[in-house]
Amino acid sequence: MLKYIWLVPALPLAGAAVNLVFGKRLGKRSGIIGPVMVGGSFVISFLALFDLLGRPAEERVYVAHLWDWFHAGALDVGADLRADALSMTMILVVTGVGFLIHVYSIGYMHGDRLYPRFFAYLNLFVFFMLTLVLAQNFVVLFIGWEGVGLCSYLLIGFWFEKPAAANASKKAFITTRVGDTFFIVGLAMIFVYFGSFDFDKVLNGHAASALSVGTLTAISLLLFGGAIGKSAQIPLHVWLPDAMEGPTPVSALIHAATMVTAGVYLVVRTHVLFTPTSLAVVMFIGLATALYAATGAVGQDDIKRLLAYSTLSQLGYMFFAAGMGAYGVAMFMLVAHAFYKALMFLAAGSVMHGMEGETDMTKMGGLKKYMPVTATLFMIGAITIAGIPPLSGFFAKDPILSLANRSGRGLAWLLADAAAFLTAFYTARLVFLTFFGEPRTERPAHESPKVMTVPMGLLAAGAAVAGVLAITPEGVLAKFLEPVTGLPGEFVGGLPEWALMAISVLLALGAIWLAWYVYASTRWRALRGRYPYVHDLLENGWYWDAAYANTIVPAGKWVAGIAAFGFDTGFIDGIVNGLGSLTKGLAAIGRRLQTGMVRTYAAVFLFGVFVVLLVLAVRS
Amino acid sequence: MKVPIAYFLTLSAVLFSIGTVGVLVRRNALVMFMSIELQLNAVNLSLVAFSRQLGNLNGQVLAFFSMVVAAAEVVVGLAIIVSIFRKRTTINVDDEDLLKW
Repeated sequence: MLKYIWLVPALPLAGAAVNLVFGKRLGKRSGIIGPVMVGGSFVISFLALFDLLGRPAEERVYVAHLWDWFHAGALDVGADLRADALSMTMILVVTGVGFLIHVYSIGYMHGDRLYPRFFAYLNLFVFFMLTLVLAQNFVVLFIGWEGVGLCSYLLIGFWFEKPAAANASKKAFITTRVGDTFFIVGLAMIFVYFGSFDFDKVLNGHAASALSVGTLTAISLLLFGGAIGKSAQIPLHVWLPDAMEGPTPVSALIHAATMVTAGVYLVVRTHVLFTPTSLAVVMFIGLATALYAATGAVGQDDIKRLLAYSTLSQLGYMFFAAGMGAYGVAMFMLVAHAFYKALMFLAAGSVMHGMEGETDMTKMGGLKKYMPVTATLFMIGAITIAGIPPLSGFFAKDPILSLANRSGRGLAWLLADAAAFLTAFYTARLVFLTFFGEPRTERPAHESPKVMTVPMGLLAAGAAVAGVLAITPEGVLAKFLEPVTGLPGEFVGGLPEWALMAISVLLALGAIWLAWYVYASTRWRALRGRYPYVHDLLENGWYWDAAYANTIVPAGKWVAGIAAFGFDTGFIDGIVNGLGSLTKGLAAIGRRLQTGMVRTYAAVFLFGVFVVLLVLAVRS
Repeated sequence: MKVPIAYFLTLSAVLFSIGTVGVLVRRNALVMFMSIELQLNAVNLSLVAFSRQLGNLNGQVLAFFSMVVAAAEVVVGLAIIVSIFRKRTTINVDDEDLLKW
């Protein structure tokens, strides 16, 4: 099936095309086409995985050359797809989780005015995401990279009648663009120094070792700049919480499971270019985001914004792991996170569906009684992310923490533990506020239909058992990925493994108990009344948005004003208009020659003849 | 007795000058036309004179050409003058400045 790997991105593209062109005529049937196409991609990916597993570990790379795309000078770019362990892992996550979210959308988007268009955009997103992860060169990867950004913009602003949604989509697009600018510069540097965009020529390890450390650091940090924008890490994280204005399946698919992990994928894919310096930057940014976003999540009352901050924090963990060189661990976290975060988003969407669009947790409470299935599934997701064994979240987070400890990064380990504690705390807070206690509103909540709960159930099963991929000492997934990612170094120092595990579990249990103590009763109201500024600080994400609004935004507006009114209207338009005025002025003089008097013309003609004769006479 | 060429050329120059002055000073398009005809025939005269002087027929052939062209020109020119007169009841060239903006 590896031969047919091109079908994996082609099927969603076909689905998007059909739904865009014939969507109106298809009506409700477009909700079948979308999921079926992604499901088909999943089946093909799965069959291709067995093809790949049938080969010895060193030969698990299949490159499909579809066509020569373009040649320009020394630049040869082909439309090439690469199926190796890493991209196979990614396409299975994208198509698998994507398929479940597509099915869920049938129920969630039911009755929406733009129902076919939603599935068209969602299919288009899956196509670009698959292009991104299957790319064999940086140009194809970049097409996917920008394409998912476009689809993210379209889907965040799907309900564009709401000004908040329209603004959020613009914010997401522009903020990501800042990172993309670094990414493009990084790509240009890659071409200058490697002379190619092909992964085989750039990422083979020999090519990079010929370059100076400074050059490599610059290239890798520029690529990481793109990853920061796409994966919403500090300081470009501000777009993700606002992106929750989009429909919830979009938040689950794009802003939790797949697109935001593209940055992690990029770092893992290009890890041979990362020098110790740039890895330290990756680690620092990841850890800072993990801790920062965890504190922000504690202050959110909006159920989706809380999950968005949680996503930021978890992505920070992935970069933290990648920054320590543990790419297999980061990838395992990516896979597990795709399951449990998609599950939590879908469950949150189910709550919103049952509450007629309510997202404020302070108005919920006691929903366990009304939505038992959703509540149970959400709690599975919550326990998973909190890091209670044997669910997958524990196996994702524990290796990261233990690696930090054993590699002698004591302070980083402590901070990551603090973030883990906060993770368990905010998740438990969400659960207790939403599903426990007394109902705080008269609104009748109802359970969601099967088409929504079944995909959630499957995701919950995935979140629960994904841990088996990491359960052997070296990890099934990590071993599968080893030809691409290599292994993190061996460390001997630090605390023993069982102690680290015990600390992780105790932290999680302690956080859950604390959240129960505060949020299962009405104590949180009293607490908020006594320290309102703490809550405000956390809810506004440490006023990061306000800081941007008061520094970068006015500066940007000022520069844009000069560019628009000073340079553009003054200088560029001045040249164009000036040329026009000059022509008009010359014409005003020149047209006086045209008197319209025939005899004047004849006289001038005669005069000209005399001049010509005179010249001839003088010259001869 | 052979007439000297200077006589012909003098007559030709006089005719040409009369024609030139006619084109420049008269306002009536028909008279201007006749003056142009005068100029053309002055040149024809000198062509024939040179031809005879040099014993070469080229000049006479060229004179025929110029007569044919003059006839064609008169046809087109008179047609224009007639249509202008029908439109505007005048053939005074100083009033015809339609192409000027």
